[in-house]
Amino acid sequence: MLIVDSLSKSFDKGKSFALKDVSFKLEQGDVCAIVGESGSGKTTLVRLIAGLERPDGGVIKLEGKEVSSIKKLVPPEKRNIGLVFQEYALFPHFDLLKNVMYGISKLKNKKERAKEMLELVGLSGMEHRYPHQLSGGQQQRVALARALAPNPSLLILDEPFSNLDAMLRMQLRSQVFEIIKKTGVTAIFVTHDTQDALSVADEILILQNGKIIQKDQAANLYTKPSSIYVASLFGNTIQLNKEMQTAFDCPLNPKCDHAIRNENLSINEECEYVTHARVLKKTFLGTGTQLLLKLDNGQKISVVTKEREVADRIKIGFNSTDLLEFAG
Amino acid sequence: MKQAGSSNIFSLKSRLNRLKRDTNRWSVFTLAIVAFIALPIISIGVKLFAGPGETWGHLVDNLLVDYIGNSFFLVFFCSVLVLLFGVSSAWLVSRFEFPFRKQMEWLLILPLAIPSYIVAYAYAGIFDYGGSFELFLRFFNMEFIRIDMMNKYGLAFVLSISLFPYVYVSSRAFFLNQAGNLLEASTMLGIGEFRSFFKLILPLARPAIIAGLILVLMEVLNDYGAAQYFGVNTFTTGIFRAWFALEEPETAIYLSALLIAIVFVLILFEKWQRKNLQVASQIASKFSHRKEFKKPAQWLIFLIVLIPVSFGFFVPLAQLIYWAVLTAGNVFDLDFLMLSLQSFWIAFVTSVVTVILATLLIYFAKWSSINTVKSVSKLGILGYAIPGAVVAIGIMIPTLALDKWIIGIMNDYFGISTGLLINGSLVALVYAYAVRFLAVAYNPIESTGLKVSSSIPDSSRMLGVGNFRTFFRVEFPLIKTGILSAIILVFIDVMKELPLTLILKPFHINTLAVKAFEYASDEMVMEAAIPSLFIIFTAAIPVIFLNRLLIKD
Repeated sequence: MLIVDSLSKSFDKGKSFALKDVSFKLEQGDVCAIVGESGSGKTTLVRLIAGLERPDGGVIKLEGKEVSSIKKLVPPEKRNIGLVFQEYALFPHFDLLKNVMYGISKLKNKKERAKEMLELVGLSGMEHRYPHQLSGGQQQRVALARALAPNPSLLILDEPFSNLDAMLRMQLRSQVFEIIKKTGVTAIFVTHDTQDALSVADEILILQNGKIIQKDQAANLYTKPSSIYVASLFGNTIQLNKEMQTAFDCPLNPKCDHAIRNENLSINEECEYVTHARVLKKTFLGTGTQLLLKLDNGQKISVVTKEREVADRIKIGFNSTDLLEFAG
Repeated sequence: MKQAGSSNIFSLKSRLNRLKRDTNRWSVFTLAIVAFIALPIISIGVKLFAGPGETWGHLVDNLLVDYIGNSFFLVFFCSVLVLLFGVSSAWLVSRFEFPFRKQMEWLLILPLAIPSYIVAYAYAGIFDYGGSFELFLRFFNMEFIRIDMMNKYGLAFVLSISLFPYVYVSSRAFFLNQAGNLLEASTMLGIGEFRSFFKLILPLARPAIIAGLILVLMEVLNDYGAAQYFGVNTFTTGIFRAWFALEEPETAIYLSALLIAIVFVLILFEKWQRKNLQVASQIASKFSHRKEFKKPAQWLIFLIVLIPVSFGFFVPLAQLIYWAVLTAGNVFDLDFLMLSLQSFWIAFVTSVVTVILATLLIYFAKWSSINTVKSVSKLGILGYAIPGAVVAIGIMIPTLALDKWIIGIMNDYFGISTGLLINGSLVALVYAYAVRFLAVAYNPIESTGLKVSSSIPDSSRMLGVGNFRTFFRVEFPLIKTGILSAIILVFIDVMKELPLTLILKPFHINTLAVKAFEYASDEMVMEAAIPSLFIIFTAAIPVIFLNRLLIKD
């Protein structure tokens, strides 16, 4: 369906790369999340797929046709890709119906189709409102309806929820992906929020400094991250270096790096590997408490626990099944 | 999957492949417009190789020192005066509350509505023997002091008082939008308002102020009418003399090239001083409130601000109205009405042509995918820096060549003898205006365009709509105010334009500006008042209107 092969983009003629040798594939109906920090190249990647930027190297194929290479570029208007922008980008001088009809002006039943799409996103009856009369979440849904109206072969959502507050975000997230699943469209969405990615994507692609560092299913990414960086994207992670290994008395393969997730550390419970620690500082977080610990061998670590009351001296440990191992 | 790899994507072959891929018709069109605009300047450059005219040696020995000396004198004196008038009035209206402050804000822009050569006529009349100044003194039984305006000092005063609003506008924009936090922080640190202004605000406002000043200096170097009337030899009067009196185009071209060189030194200086101060914060911060002194002090501020407004606008205007009343019977007839309509019509057609050209240049460059083309497109707006007389000479060269070529062909192949087709026609005139005023149209369109987020046209294209239709359906409705201000601004500039029009206008056609100039040159300066007032009123009304528009934005 979508094939991206060795895609590269530089903004200063090769001195540094926004994207370097990025390759991946998507199958029909996949929902894929692209996760990365700002500056990781994720927006550049989707803009290249959309045709809004020009790659310096590599090939993009869409439904078997080459749409982008070093010799040829299909312009964005001929790619049949729907794009929902971070800031929604609704046309301020058109009402909702006209906004949604914009991309299907050649259809005979464009009005019916547009109304149908507005109904799909739960905005029927608001056809003649203008974008500035809507809330952020409503604008987001109009943008989705507008992008889906021409029946795109691929739908891209660029940071779709970043302008919304936390409550609305959760609500809208499930609504939007219900709609995407209903239409069966292949979708890519870009986010810096791993919760967004974990909750809706079939597959997640992690970008760092313009390179793909892991592409896998959500559950695998969590349990088998390929690097400490990926592991720490999905939650607080404690690295187990040599000193830590001595502290817990768990000699590990010296050729690999190891880490343990914060939530897999247990306090005052029986575990395979344990050590004792003095609590130097407690910070109340609401949902739990953050502890600054000094292990008996002098190592300092910071962990979060659900407990509210913690003694000044505690036992801390973990089990070997929860160990994360990365090839060094 | 074939593995391309990123190692060789910056090889020459890949670069050429990409260049071929990214070259679209928009790149070609952009370059074509730039070439069209740059043609007059390039022509002057090419013609330099043909060598100077016969009198060039004489001119270098005798007059060039005068031209350069006078031009530097004007640049220096006008700088001092416009900074004094412009910066002080801008600070006073943005920082202090005083009676009629709101009215003063836009009255301070109005001197721009009076072309400087008309201000020159008015002041020459005021200080002439038997002029308004003498009558005024006699009325109060004072002894007559003769003030001679018809020299370089008078010229510097007249140019400054009519051009200071450029500095006023640019520094007011800085004071209003950026100075708030700075001043508050400074006074919180215990530094008095007076010292804060000179130590902090003024240095930070420097790029904005100098940008306004450079515009003034370009106008100073562009001036022909005032210098000619006051009998001061400048580069522009020299170009006219070489062209019309000596009939030596080569000499005019050499002078033009020198003038262009001076202008480019100014532009480079402006760019350099900007580079040295990139620290000015981009965060808007307005004054929370204006300072309010006790009433007498407020009236004092009012009087200070009234000085530039009076000398730049009310005094010359009053003199012109007085003359207009005296000469209405002689000047006002059907011919004059036709001439006014002609003048409006030319200005209107020109502003539409120029705005279309500017819009095409902006959007073609945007649609072009080659960065070099985008940077080159900016060269198209340099015409504003080139004095009108120089642009006119530059237009003459290629249009004359083209005409000769057409005459030759018509003669050789068809046996028809045609006259000059383009030269001395409206086409050449409008072409020259467009070259000179493209920047005037470009800036407001570009800045309103920048307010439209790039994701708006992007999302239109993602919905299957191409560049051209995207422009008409989505972008044009959103930049309408910019287009409208561009049309108005070019219209005003064309109405006021003199040197370029004098050189290029067709024989049977006249403009109000040329008419005023002709009256003044024929020792009928009082009769020049009515065409002048027509220009002023057509320029003043849009100036007020535009100020409103800018404040609303």
